Amino acid sequence: MASGPAPSIVAASKPLEEINPMHTLRNLFRRRLRTGLTIVGIAIGIWALVVFGSMANRINDMVGNGSTYFQSGVISVWSGGGSVPKSNPIDLAVGNRIEAIPGVAAVVPGVSLNLSDDPSSVSFGLPPMITAEKPGLSDGLGTFVETAASGRLLTAADEGSNVTVLGCDLALQYGMHVGDTIVLRGESFTIVGVLAQTKTQPDNSAIVPFAAGQRLYLATLPSVVKANLTAAEVVTAFQVYPKPGIDPATVAAAIKALDPELGTMDASDFDQQAGSYAAMLDDVLMGIGLISLVVGGLSVVNTMAMSIAERTREIGIKRAIGASGARIVREVVTESALIGFIGGVIGLTLGAVAVTLANEAGRSSDTILFELTLGTAVTSVAFSTVLGALAGLVPALHAARLDPVAALRYE
Amino acid sequence: MTTQPHTNLENETMTATTHTQAQTPLLAGRNLRKTYRLGRRNTLQALAGVDVAIRPGEMVAIMGPSGSGKSTLMHILGLLHAPDMNHGPRPELTFGGRDMVALSEAERTRIRAREMGFVFQDFNLVPTLTALENVLLACDYAGSTGPKARPAALEALALVGLSERAGHRPAELSGGEQQRVAIARALVNRPALVLADEPTGNLDSARSEEVLALLRRLNRERGQTFVLVTHDHEVGAACDRVVRMRDGRIGGVDR
Repeated sequence: MASGPAPSIVAASKPLEEINPMHTLRNLFRRRLRTGLTIVGIAIGIWALVVFGSMANRINDMVGNGSTYFQSGVISVWSGGGSVPKSNPIDLAVGNRIEAIPGVAAVVPGVSLNLSDDPSSVSFGLPPMITAEKPGLSDGLGTFVETAASGRLLTAADEGSNVTVLGCDLALQYGMHVGDTIVLRGESFTIVGVLAQTKTQPDNSAIVPFAAGQRLYLATLPSVVKANLTAAEVVTAFQVYPKPGIDPATVAAAIKALDPELGTMDASDFDQQAGSYAAMLDDVLMGIGLISLVVGGLSVVNTMAMSIAERTREIGIKRAIGASGARIVREVVTESALIGFIGGVIGLTLGAVAVTLANEAGRSSDTILFELTLGTAVTSVAFSTVLGALAGLVPALHAARLDPVAALRYE
Repeated sequence: MTTQPHTNLENETMTATTHTQAQTPLLAGRNLRKTYRLGRRNTLQALAGVDVAIRPGEMVAIMGPSGSGKSTLMHILGLLHAPDMNHGPRPELTFGGRDMVALSEAERTRIRAREMGFVFQDFNLVPTLTALENVLLACDYAGSTGPKARPAALEALALVGLSERAGHRPAELSGGEQQRVAIARALVNRPALVLADEPTGNLDSARSEEVLALLRRLNRERGQTFVLVTHDHEVGAACDRVVRMRDGRIGGVDR
């Protein structure tokens, strides 16, 4: 006659049980509507995060590349004071006085004006501009190198002819290529080159020869002002390059001392201004993140709490037949993390579609606002998954603490 | 048809004695008390001091009217609740010779998973899982997964005659079939002790007889110890011994 099994000796260590992903999915699909609504809630939050994150990427790019421009030590000088560059007329001769300041290596006069006076073309980000600078002066001085994606850059030999190099966004917006003719402020220019993307101001600029720029600029001024100026003597800005080892701030101070009407911007000014702009954007982004955290998180808590209430008996039976509290916590947290993950992936997909459509629509009106990076994509899905897991933790701990006997009797 | 004895304890008891009164109990409790607090002033004394000993290989019924404390006793014997410690003589509870009173919740959970099987009145299967998956759950909690667990679970289902229904969900099974799945789940880890709370309570008399015969057969063939809480006199009659409960105490033992 056989004997029965006796209490086995409890093994010294227990392997970490795996959670069957199919069981988790089945649990989710037990309550399709509720799980679906929660996922939609999270997806909307993540959608917003992706869209605004892509916008911040785009703007941080502009800021970052602008910063690279100033990294060479260049100082922008304009008339009218203040801390933001202005397009007021300056006499070309002022450049000679700046050049006389000790520590100045080169002064490059330039002109920039809005491509259009039409207020409807005012866009978010960087406005389309016509720019020109005196050729041959800045060669080898800047660290910000523009290259032509097609055609060529302007040279000193182009002075006197109506040719232009377009920034990539501008070329795309007008659908123009090298060899086409574009009308800039009433004059026809032949496109000889299109710039490679810089992700900052040049993308939205038409570069023209210096004399042409001066002529176009003068034409925009009111006749009273115009009467006292000649095109060859007018500029709107100087790019001042200090000698190596000279602090741009010292030179900037000396320039302002020449004439209190002059405004300057160097690397530190730019970073300060742009930095505060970027910081504000980051705050907005953080705010959106927090809102989606609260809304999405609470709806996950609610969903999981309800599903645990419904499954009280089931949790009781699992505890009774030997599921540890930690195991119950893992089951619930896995489920809520999965809700967060699915919501995140849907939100990311919708965000990517929205960003792509908006950029496509924006090409024709020159508003390319978004750049969805891999970092933003990964972060948003990781964020929603962690959010789901954390939100599930509260109901999970509650479930793990249930008394199995009471849970079994629960109706 | 035998199962291999696993431990020294089993060998000693089986060689020293046959099924006699002198045998070392598998499960022994002394001074088991339990008072539930129902409200601020309202308490219910469910167990008023119970001494009980269950021998290996026995099939014992605990019977008594509602509120007599029989379920409470089963919960304490099954380590689902701990006996009261705070008044009266110190309670004792041993399982396989080991002290259970001092164990932590985690340790009790572990012993429930590995060395005990549970069958409940309303079957209590996980509705989203198939019969096989329900049985596998018990393997999983006992630390056995994958290639080891599956044959054991299929064997347990075969034992209760449900091999063909392994892929069905509880909703697709009759009450009797669900209870047999629950029995397979309780048996799959070959526990020394199976505790059943009203295992036939929700079954009609034909299904009830079927389940009872199954339990009796498993007890005889595999030598596993069964403790059944029941209202059903036929269940009581089929057991080796009946412990009668009344007002939180043992009122008598038949046979």
